Amino acid sequence: MEPSISQQTSPGLAEPVKPPKSQSPWALARRKFLRNKVAMVSLVFLLLVCAMSILAEPLTMPVEETAKINLTQMSKEPSAEHYFGTDKSGRDVFARTLHGGKTSLLLAFSITLAVITIGTLVGATAGYFGGWVDNALMRFTDFMMNFPFLLFVIVLKSIFIESSTGTLIFVISVLSWTGTARLVRSKVMAEKENEYIMSAVSIGCSAPKTIFKHLLPNVMSTIIVQATITLAAMIVAETGLSFLGFGVPINIPTWGNMLQEARSPDVLTSKWWIWIPPAAVLTFTILSINFIGEGLKDAFNPKSNR
Amino acid sequence: MGGFCSPKEYKFNQRINFCLVRGMEMLQYTIRRLIGMIPIIFLISVVVFTLAKLMPGDALSGKIDPLNSDPEYIEEMREQMGLNDPIPVQYVRWMSGVVQGDFGDSFVHKRPVMELIGDRLPNTIILGISALLITYLLAFLMGRYSGRFAYSMGDYLISAFNYLALAIPSFVAALVAIYIFAINLGWVPASGSIGSGVEAGTLEYYLSKAKHTVLPAIVLGAMATAAYTQFLRNDMIESSRKDYVRTARAKGTKESAIYNKHILRNSIIPIVTLLGFDIANLFGGAIITETIFTYPGIGYLFVESVNARDYSVMMAIAMMLTILTLIGNLVADLLYGLVDPRIRLS
Repeated sequence: MEPSISQQTSPGLAEPVKPPKSQSPWALARRKFLRNKVAMVSLVFLLLVCAMSILAEPLTMPVEETAKINLTQMSKEPSAEHYFGTDKSGRDVFARTLHGGKTSLLLAFSITLAVITIGTLVGATAGYFGGWVDNALMRFTDFMMNFPFLLFVIVLKSIFIESSTGTLIFVISVLSWTGTARLVRSKVMAEKENEYIMSAVSIGCSAPKTIFKHLLPNVMSTIIVQATITLAAMIVAETGLSFLGFGVPINIPTWGNMLQEARSPDVLTSKWWIWIPPAAVLTFTILSINFIGEGLKDAFNPKSNR
Repeated sequence: MGGFCSPKEYKFNQRINFCLVRGMEMLQYTIRRLIGMIPIIFLISVVVFTLAKLMPGDALSGKIDPLNSDPEYIEEMREQMGLNDPIPVQYVRWMSGVVQGDFGDSFVHKRPVMELIGDRLPNTIILGISALLITYLLAFLMGRYSGRFAYSMGDYLISAFNYLALAIPSFVAALVAIYIFAINLGWVPASGSIGSGVEAGTLEYYLSKAKHTVLPAIVLGAMATAAYTQFLRNDMIESSRKDYVRTARAKGTKESAIYNKHILRNSIIPIVTLLGFDIANLFGGAIITETIFTYPGIGYLFVESVNARDYSVMMAIAMMLTILTLIGNLVADLLYGLVDPRIRLS
């Protein structure tokens, strides 16, 4: 524990010598994560993609401009004027990739937040209370798990025909919280057997307080890792659905909507600059999220020492 | 039973006995699970029917004479087809057909839904089985190599491939595969399931079929391949530190025999149990893959039917895939119990 020793100031003679403060599990995990090169490179890449997406407008042009059809600029190859060229409607691919990233990432983050929240609440409630509450909630979770994800998202999406991105978030979230709920439940069930929970209950902590203040912080590492997995899965889900035409409305640029252009053989065959940029950014973003997830898992695991 | 028998016979008898008990236990378990599925399937049918009713427009538009827009005529046709009946009555009518295996007629194709699905299902099954074969074969070969020569150059290459395959969304993988193998190299066709003008039953027919199936099958199985390879590799590395391996080594067993006989046999088991989940995943994944390759299977039919508001087809496929998921989960649990005698099925 070198850093903690060097941090210590020399104690005066009269003062009792304090034992060096041991690092918290969070500090240990952070140190381990920071030393993981692959995860750090991935994190930098992901942050870069996020930053460029957020700054899409100052970097390129407003969203409205990216939707404008420009007949004089159709299917232009990459040049100094259009870094990634233009698509079949003469829209700048570079600007659309950045704006598309904004929509795709924002959607994925929102869905992940919703999924993790619902899953954690259901899982923690079921695991903490047990008995009939657990039984009822888990039966419901199992029931929801039976629905093939893609199929029912498509069905639900075609019900809400004039849907915004909000409905998409809702529809996907409703169908994907089950895995998280199961995971959190099993972790909570194992954790609540510990003495500190028993003592919290015995001094009169209410159930919500016990769950939020004592239980959840101790299963947080699992939830965080699950969140990264969910984030990657949700980017795939959103882009895949948009690609099939059941996701974000076609007039809003997203990576999935941009890739939809590649469904025309002409674009796929001879206009690579229209579909390769979103495909590459999409794949590398998911790759980096996977690496970050693995790095976090490793960092939170006290048994691994890399 | 008592009686005298040699130790060998005794051991054999015990084994038979165990298998019988285990077999009965599994049979009972399967029956119990199947009975338990009935209420779930009933609930799912209610959900599917409700969703179909919530969808905009109805079956009518596809069925009546499009040139006759007389409101009286339309009303009469609605009445005739029972679309004015209360929803529960319509549900019971639909469900009583479903129980007898009759999902009604497709409005777009003007044929019974079951006939339509019967036409398309073989294609999806061929695609699914090819994907499974490719997945397990590749995962077995790559995982075995990576597990045995862990941290070698080849292992790193395989790992790199795995990370990429796990990250790339299937539709992007499909686009890249079409771009490289169908368009630039021209090895296989980019779409469809059979060449034009090929007669059924000839050698040419099967070759054409195989050529059309191989690319979508690889794409469909890519993610599972990567996951299983990694799984097998890690399990082999873990097993290689176990006591029984040390014992085998101490006895002077050849290294190849240790890996191929002792370790591999133990490490292959967990992967086999995943087969049940594969069934459900493949049919779900087929929706995307088949659509991109315009491969005429169930998944593509589903997307077509949603787009054309062909409700009876859509409901039939939704019901079918959900029941398949249920069965897939059951198969997974059974396989799990089969390969690991310590697991009690209850």
